Amino acid sequence: MQTSGERRAEIMTGVVTAIVFIVLYAPVMISVLFSLVEIRRGKILWETLSFEPYVTLWSNPSVLAALSNTAIVAFVSVILASMLALLLALYTQWSEAIGKRFLELIIYLPFLLPPIVTGLALLVASAQLGINRGLATLVTGHMVFVLAVAYRLVLTRLQALPPSLIEASFDLGASRWQTLRYVLLPHLASAVVTGAMLSLTLSFDETLISTFVAGDQMTLPLRLWAMMRVGFTPEINALVTLVLLVSIVLSIVTALRLRPKGELEED
Amino acid sequence: MLSLSRVETAGARPVLRLAIFLVAAAVPFALILAPIGSFMVLSLFRAEKHQIIHDPTLVNYVNFFGNWTYFGTFLGTLLLCLEVMGLSLLLGYPIAWFIWKRRGGVRYLLLLLAVVPLFMSYIVKLYTLRAMLGLNGLINQVLLGLGLFERPSRIFLFNQRAVLMTMAVIYLPFVILPIFLALERIPRSLLHASTDLGAGAWDTFRRVVLPLSLPGTIAGGLFAFVLALGDFITPQMVGGTTGFTIGRVIYSQFGLAYDWPFGAAMAAILLATALTGIIAAGFAISRQKV
Repeated sequence: MQTSGERRAEIMTGVVTAIVFIVLYAPVMISVLFSLVEIRRGKILWETLSFEPYVTLWSNPSVLAALSNTAIVAFVSVILASMLALLLALYTQWSEAIGKRFLELIIYLPFLLPPIVTGLALLVASAQLGINRGLATLVTGHMVFVLAVAYRLVLTRLQALPPSLIEASFDLGASRWQTLRYVLLPHLASAVVTGAMLSLTLSFDETLISTFVAGDQMTLPLRLWAMMRVGFTPEINALVTLVLLVSIVLSIVTALRLRPKGELEED
Repeated sequence: MLSLSRVETAGARPVLRLAIFLVAAAVPFALILAPIGSFMVLSLFRAEKHQIIHDPTLVNYVNFFGNWTYFGTFLGTLLLCLEVMGLSLLLGYPIAWFIWKRRGGVRYLLLLLAVVPLFMSYIVKLYTLRAMLGLNGLINQVLLGLGLFERPSRIFLFNQRAVLMTMAVIYLPFVILPIFLALERIPRSLLHASTDLGAGAWDTFRRVVLPLSLPGTIAGGLFAFVLALGDFITPQMVGGTTGFTIGRVIYSQFGLAYDWPFGAAMAAILLATALTGIIAAGFAISRQKV
């Protein structure tokens, strides 16, 4: 029982959605295409089809170095952030905790503030402490950035747990440690993993904070940025395609994990 | 509230509670709060011939507000961020609403399509958008093909308009998601009740849907604003020499210009602006919820 006005509104917003989605995705398709074939005067030259840019990419030492840095920084910062998020969530949900709101504000700050502020703050602090910028500062930057996401996911799960679960555990004679180990942690594990997935995706793409704290180390986005200034080559398009592929796979896996069961079903 | 303490009444001693707080807060304090504090302090010093003079002064702030090159750029950036916010809300709200109106698999697929660009590499999006806006880019090709242009035009790249359009596209997914989540929280019963009481589709939208989706809309607008505010790579990549923003000016102070205290002072002003936006949005959202 739709009115004609509502029908019209749906058609109009549908057109906007379609156009915007084309603008969001067309560039991606184009760079994939450009990495495989040459295009001249708007015509695709299929005879130039080649996977060579993908092969030469693997013999480019600066790309490989950037790739390994990105992987190291992502894994180390995500593992540290996940553990820290778990501890912080357990603390802020503790009934006798003090300074909860203040602590939460600090945790959320790097996510709320423009990344340039976080990057700059870490740059100035490391310079004042005489710490050389490199992988350690990159890990720190990524860790504080993804901490908010990891914390939020663990906290939401912790708040959703029925208090009776803990009471039952105590009633059955479990100690605090046993309750944490055998009751709380198993229930939180999947939230920690989802948070880690989301954090990995964010860390993989992080650019603005990295610029300030990288020193002479390069991560993949920084390498790409440097390559882009030179111009458009099939090799860059190949790298762009691979980076996109990793981001999209990571985000779809995360989205599937985050999908609340039944929430999007018919009511 | 969960509690791991066996007996609720027997609270831990204040000293113990403070000690536990300090342990829990140690890392966030050391790695988030202290660095922010350190650049705030730095902004009160000055640089002379690449040397930092540790002598408290407000000279950086005076220079910023007194010099139109900087203050004007700052105001221009604020205007740009408001435009980015407006444009992405104007596009983002109808999209969120359209997705919300869909059912079942289509809805989930559209939502996924709206969210995936959030995680696509920022630098890659910039690269592809720049390729699209350029002289041999898709936009020029389409306009040439349609016969609207006789020769490719440079008007789409290396100016403020290019920065605005690129930022709006890049930050759009950050706007769509919170609006959709707010719409999603509206109980269907309210919509049925509104229809049963004789309200038309437009009245239901204006009096029920729109007010209830405002918190998400404000949050989305805030995301776009804050993200645009600190962005220094987009203006550089698509703005060329005319696309100067305060983020870019700050970045240059830590590179070529090498005046860290002045850069820190401008970053402190940026921080204050972002916090003002966050607090104002938080206030607007909490008023809405009453």
